Amino acid sequence: MNLTNPDCVATIANVQSMWQPLKLGHRTYTDGLPLVMAIVNRTPDSFFDQGATYAEDKAWQRVRAVVEEGADIVDIGGVRAGYGPEVDAAEEIERVAGFVGRVRAAYPDLVISVDTWRAEVARAVLEQGADVINDAWGGHDPDLVAVAAEYDAAVICTHAGGLSPRTDPFRQEYDDVVAACIETTVGLAERAVAAGVDPHSVVIDPAHDFAKNTFHSLELTRRIGEMVDTGYPVLVSVSNKDFVGETLGLPAGERMHGTYAATAITAMAGARIHRVHQVRETRHLVDMAWSIAGRRPPLRAIRGLA
Amino acid sequence: MRAVLVPGVLALLPEYAGLEDPVAELRAACLDAVGWLGADVTVLAGPQGRKVAESLLGSRQARPTAESLLGSRQARPTAESLLGSRQARPTEVEARPTRVDGASYLVVGNGSARRRDTSPGYVDERAIPFDADLGTRLRTGELSGIDASLARELWADTEAIARLDGVLPPGCACTVNYEDDPYGVQYWVVRWEW
Repeated sequence: MNLTNPDCVATIANVQSMWQPLKLGHRTYTDGLPLVMAIVNRTPDSFFDQGATYAEDKAWQRVRAVVEEGADIVDIGGVRAGYGPEVDAAEEIERVAGFVGRVRAAYPDLVISVDTWRAEVARAVLEQGADVINDAWGGHDPDLVAVAAEYDAAVICTHAGGLSPRTDPFRQEYDDVVAACIETTVGLAERAVAAGVDPHSVVIDPAHDFAKNTFHSLELTRRIGEMVDTGYPVLVSVSNKDFVGETLGLPAGERMHGTYAATAITAMAGARIHRVHQVRETRHLVDMAWSIAGRRPPLRAIRGLA
Repeated sequence: MRAVLVPGVLALLPEYAGLEDPVAELRAACLDAVGWLGADVTVLAGPQGRKVAESLLGSRQARPTAESLLGSRQARPTAESLLGSRQARPTEVEARPTRVDGASYLVVGNGSARRRDTSPGYVDERAIPFDADLGTRLRTGELSGIDASLARELWADTEAIARLDGVLPPGCACTVNYEDDPYGVQYWVVRWEW
């Protein structure tokens, strides 16, 4: 952020005091502002893009585009979250590790996250300079956090409802879905810290749609402030997901406006990291929501003040 | 004795600070000029102008540095603290000052806000000659006879400026540090010394 206004320093300081510093690998954020994480799939079968960025050159173009559009973080994934052909660790490493190294070399300031549940993959990508391990299947591999700690990387601790990786929910119910998400993610966060991960490098994610029906994800969206109140930075990943589609009756390619509504509401409540497909729009949206919430001054205000 | 004129630009106030400063050059000129005044400062301003004056004078105290602020970690702030501290609004314009040796005056006022079609008050063809005349008066210290009625029509803030009449001695040294209308409002930062 380009701060030119000396008076703004005091306002920003007040915003900062709401949040602990957030350390994502080589970058530490002390400004308390929202972050946009761009999804980069190195998969042939992901639900939204159907493999559009599977090829390395396409994935590379995607990284260049999202950086230009204002992404703070790229989240590179080599395995589709849903069912599909088996992808073993060697194949996953083949898809992502070298690519992480290439992105690291070209964008030294960019925060690189890798979406994986496997410690073995985590080690390979951290060797290539990744900053964050997005453990989207909620601690399935207990060795993963120790690897993250070894590389001083950040970890995203996710509520996957006890499901094995790449499993859809079936008749899953909760007494209180938000309480369950808090209990699981905070438990995983504490486990990560105990394993040596920097306490400022632990993020929690309720994981919309993962082990959840649409009613669960809507309730999570509505009550996301309760997760923010834990004090851990909250990541939300609502982008074009089925709960948006079922709510509006729309297929994957037509869910962006529903996604924006969910993003605005979670940003207003203080969700700090937004994992999305549409980067430019989300950048505007979360900055606007942050400003409406009184946590980010306008970029430049002169109307009525000259 | 010293006197400084600054414009009553609300964008100078901390509660209206954006991430980027739309009046960076003006702010720098104001802070330099206010820093040049002595410790004993009499403010000549209307209620809004007084807020600007007090804010600038407050900036002469230790302004927090980014480093000192980055180190601070407090509990969640209240909405009030996020929006910045708002000072009480004075309701009365200061009485005409008397000469005090060693004292300083900080005067808040500006020219017309109707200089062109992008000005806050749109365009009035009388604005530019009015401001030219006012600029000459500021330089010469001849502040008697400013047309207060025309000033009001032109959205110019000259009431406090007029009260310098009789304070500034004839021919006192004048320096204009800033003279521009970046948003269609005529601003000056002027220093006088006698």
